[in-house]
Amino acid sequence: MNVQITNSENYTIIKVQGRIDTITATDFEAKVMTTLEQSKKLVINCSELDYISSSGLRVFLLTQKKINAAGGTLKLCCLQPTIKEIFDISGFSTIFSIYSDQESATNP
Amino acid sequence: MEIIFSLLPVLIFLICLYLLDSFKLVSSKMLIICLVWGVVAALISYYTNTWLSKQFSLDYSVFSKYVAPLNEEFVKAVFIIYLISRQKIGFSVDAAIYGFAAGAGFALAENIVYLIRLMNEPEIVIWIIRGFGTAMMHGGCTAIFSMLLIGGVQREKPLALAFFPSLAAAYLLHSGFNHFFLNPYLQTVLIFVILPVVFTIVFQKSNSVLQDWLEIEFSNEVELLRMIKQGSFTSTKAGDYLISLKKHFDAEMILDLYCYISLYLELSIKAKRNLMLKENGFAVIEEPDIMEKLNELQQLRKQIGKLGELAMQPLVRMKHRELWKLNQLRN
Repeated sequence: MNVQITNSENYTIIKVQGRIDTITATDFEAKVMTTLEQSKKLVINCSELDYISSSGLRVFLLTQKKINAAGGTLKLCCLQPTIKEIFDISGFSTIFSIYSDQESATNP
Repeated sequence: MEIIFSLLPVLIFLICLYLLDSFKLVSSKMLIICLVWGVVAALISYYTNTWLSKQFSLDYSVFSKYVAPLNEEFVKAVFIIYLISRQKIGFSVDAAIYGFAAGAGFALAENIVYLIRLMNEPEIVIWIIRGFGTAMMHGGCTAIFSMLLIGGVQREKPLALAFFPSLAAAYLLHSGFNHFFLNPYLQTVLIFVILPVVFTIVFQKSNSVLQDWLEIEFSNEVELLRMIKQGSFTSTKAGDYLISLKKHFDAEMILDLYCYISLYLELSIKAKRNLMLKENGFAVIEEPDIMEKLNELQQLRKQIGKLGELAMQPLVRMKHRELWKLNQLRN
């Protein structure tokens, strides 16, 4: 699992590559939480996210919870069809703001 | 001051346990029912203890060391046994909290009676021992009983077989406390120090078991349901297995088994999703058709019968934790 952090005009973009599973979830959580300390407006770009397990989903939920508490915004974008299906099947699509591309996600 | 020392410690400890339940497995309504059960159990025990002491004509000291602990632990345990048998308790965390609540209710009722009887007792230390020692012992013993019982059930022991060693453990602890092998002050301090440590260890272990359980099953279930929804179930190993059952069951039964696994996966994923949402303080997603689906699953379970369930075991094991998980959707 690899994470790249960039800044756009309005949002901090976290691009996640690879797998978020039991082993990598802690590392991913630490990186997201560190980013969260600097910016309350996050976009997680999942275009290169190949796999997400429940540990990964729990990190997404934790991030959403912290951002809600801080009055910020969390958007997910570019989910691969298999990952999008996981969100749809488990019902998490209704919890998160999901965008098909990064451009629409970073619009204020 | 007597009221503060004799009643508050056990209630504060119970609230702390409730707050430490990170996955919010415990329902506040059921927690109050357990507390009330503890009060009822104290009343029942009072009458049964009186009756037993008349029957056996034992010396008070002998009675309080050997007979009363067994009677009291058994009565407190009754409601916990009911909850476990109805799959309302799934993990050690909720078992411990519900158990402690029943014990706390018992201790509250007992201490209120003592407060009324010994209203003029000037020794504040008595109330400290009753509140921090005896009351915590009552909560702790029932919590330990509950944790051992759910542990036994999860290891697929029949409830009756898991019951006796669990009750024996609670009885030995309670009887040991009543023996006062140690100085009462020291005993109280020990209980107040050891009990939080025990609960912390149990909670950490139970949370780790819960996380592993979520992790392993959730991904597999989502993947399998995804294949079913795409119409690619027959290209999976699970699909192969279901097809292989055609040799043993008629087409109607195979269809029921297919519907059963599909519906079970959907409900199981929703139950686990709700657990994750509750862990992070989100409201669970309310779905109007959830009861309908649960009833449908129950109906399918009846239709496939024990034989069908047995045949489905490699794919769906409807054991205690699975039934508990589905029960969570009813709340």
